[in-house]
Amino acid sequence: MKRSRIVLYLLIITSVALLPFVAMAQDEVATEDVQIGFWDECPAPENLPETVSIGAIFGLSGPISVYGGSQSQAVELALTEINESGYLGEGVTLVAITEDSAGDGEQAIAAMTKLVEEDQVVAVLGPTLSTEAFSADPVAQENGTSVMGVSNTAIGITDMGDYVFRDSLPESSVIPGTIAQATTILGLERVGVLYGNDDDFTLSGYDVFVQALEDNNIEIIGEETFARGDVDFNPQLTSLIAGEPDALVVSALAAEAVQIITQARALGYEGPIIGGNGLNSPAVLEQSGEASNGVIVGAAWNIANPAPLSVEFAMNFEEAYEAAPDQFAAQAYTGAWLYATAIRCADSVDRTEIRDALAAIQDFPSPLGLFSFAEDRNPIHDPVVQIAQDGKFAVLGAEE
Amino acid sequence: MDALINGLIEILKPIGITEPVFQFMLVNAILGVSIYLTLYCGLFSLANAGFMAIGAYVGVILTQSFDLPLFGALLGGMIAAGLIAIPIGIPTLRLRDIYLAIATIGFGEIVRIMILNFDDFVGSILTLVQGERVRFTLIEGARGIKGIPKLTESWHLILFLLILMFFLTRLHHSRLGRAMTAIRQDEIAAASMGINVVYVKNVVFIMSAILAGAAGVFSGHLTRIVTPQAFGFDKTVDILAFAVLGGTSTWFGPIVGGLVLTALPESLRFLKEYRGVFTGLVLLVVIVYLPGGLINTTSWSKFIRRFTNRPESPPDENSGHSTTRAN
Repeated sequence: MKRSRIVLYLLIITSVALLPFVAMAQDEVATEDVQIGFWDECPAPENLPETVSIGAIFGLSGPISVYGGSQSQAVELALTEINESGYLGEGVTLVAITEDSAGDGEQAIAAMTKLVEEDQVVAVLGPTLSTEAFSADPVAQENGTSVMGVSNTAIGITDMGDYVFRDSLPESSVIPGTIAQATTILGLERVGVLYGNDDDFTLSGYDVFVQALEDNNIEIIGEETFARGDVDFNPQLTSLIAGEPDALVVSALAAEAVQIITQARALGYEGPIIGGNGLNSPAVLEQSGEASNGVIVGAAWNIANPAPLSVEFAMNFEEAYEAAPDQFAAQAYTGAWLYATAIRCADSVDRTEIRDALAAIQDFPSPLGLFSFAEDRNPIHDPVVQIAQDGKFAVLGAEE
Repeated sequence: MDALINGLIEILKPIGITEPVFQFMLVNAILGVSIYLTLYCGLFSLANAGFMAIGAYVGVILTQSFDLPLFGALLGGMIAAGLIAIPIGIPTLRLRDIYLAIATIGFGEIVRIMILNFDDFVGSILTLVQGERVRFTLIEGARGIKGIPKLTESWHLILFLLILMFFLTRLHHSRLGRAMTAIRQDEIAAASMGINVVYVKNVVFIMSAILAGAAGVFSGHLTRIVTPQAFGFDKTVDILAFAVLGGTSTWFGPIVGGLVLTALPESLRFLKEYRGVFTGLVLLVVIVYLPGGLINTTSWSKFIRRFTNRPESPPDENSGHSTTRAN
């Protein structure tokens, strides 16, 4: 009796002890088909020190903290995954030293100098804003340290030098794709353009829209401007709609976009409204309600993206932070994985070797899709062209 | 000189002050003096960010489009800011106190919006003249002028500040300096003493604009990009904070204010996103307990008396509440 009990206990204890291994084995089977990282292309590194530090500069305070906060969370999530999976080899930990830039160029320069010269990080992610990048990236370039923008979309970021990368699709890549697809599917010929002329983001969006429209032989029947903080767009919209355009092209930030969409519909315009990245937000659709049907937006990433890696990232992010990730979070997450891959493939903490390994990355499986760096260190991956339907984004051409 | 600066930065590095931070500290010290001059004359002018923008843009265009050296750009930026200050100063300096502040805030906004629309504006005129669509680009609107080489060196700034300090010490004992004090204390009395109030106010306003312009030129060649957003109302408030923290009883106050308020967020980097809160707290404590600023002996002696519980030596009606506590 006593003996059989001991046997029973032993049996229970061993089975409990073995349970995690069984579960892990199942996990491996489940995730084998989709796995982030270059597990096969590069062998596990052997020459890395115990701790490898990368730097990260995000706007954690001030008006842009809404972006910087989720970017920094996404990087932490990526680092946890990288370290737990032993991506850089057993016992090697990748850590990020995160600095706040508060959306200010001067502070971004200070943060970059601290990371590159004092903390001796091997590479830097960020800064959040393009204007900060124009200030701070030359510091990294001069010190021969890779810097990767994860939300810089302005023209000319990577022209600053051969150590400057970005994984955020510039408007100049998203918009031509959007216009081309929209033209094919909707048969556009004449459009009216409405843009904000006092903001770097909307203005560079406008530049690219005009170029893309010219390339697709679409006639611009009128151009109207507004300023950030405007609430009444009726004069501009009336003048544009009077020309009977096939579509309205809008380069605006979210707050103005909502007003533009609702006011255009109120004026009786029923055609498509093609927008830049500023319209790529669930909040825009929510706030403009019914009116948002027919809004077409191209984006680097959307939470509705059905690709397995993207779904997994969104799920893990929500689990960790109880908030849905945005596009900038997805790009920051991918950025951290790209650096980890560059460090793995370089098998070294030498800044130049990491840069070369980073530049060589091709067809990296990521939440953004298959990711490659172009010759000019800009990202290459397919944008998602989406159309709003009943308050949700669907992929254009595949709706209903 | 270089070895000296490098040595100084090596000493400052442990508290988070690297060379770029050191340079921004010096630029902000110049801005502090810029607002000090107007405050010393009793003018509550908030036009400094606007003049800084003018200096930055003129300076950057001079080095980028006209290939001038930094010294030429510095002169150009200072002259441009000074010239623009003349027509702005003559009408607005008739306003007093808060009304002057409002008018000069308006000036700052006008500068910002002019910069935003300048290219479109010139482009539309050219379109009218030439009869076909012309795209004009010089100052790039909201995109900002990018790719500016970093021409400003620490020794430029130190030299400029040293010359400025020499100028300020001379100013205080000059006829103009005494006239400024007189106008601050009582404008009518000053006028009846034979001081040309309008003239003195304008000269001071122009000097302040020239200094802000110089700071703009230096800052544009440090940040490598100039955008109109960088010279908005936020910048004006920052500049005012230098004067508030340091105090305006001597010219040394705003310089210290500019240095401290720029260094503080960098030294506090370990506090992460809460460092802004701490900086605000420091400012608040100074305003409440040291109303005269950090560089002011009377406010420090009052502050110390507060804690040593010694009664104020000359009892006056302002300290009524502290005497009632004795009951």
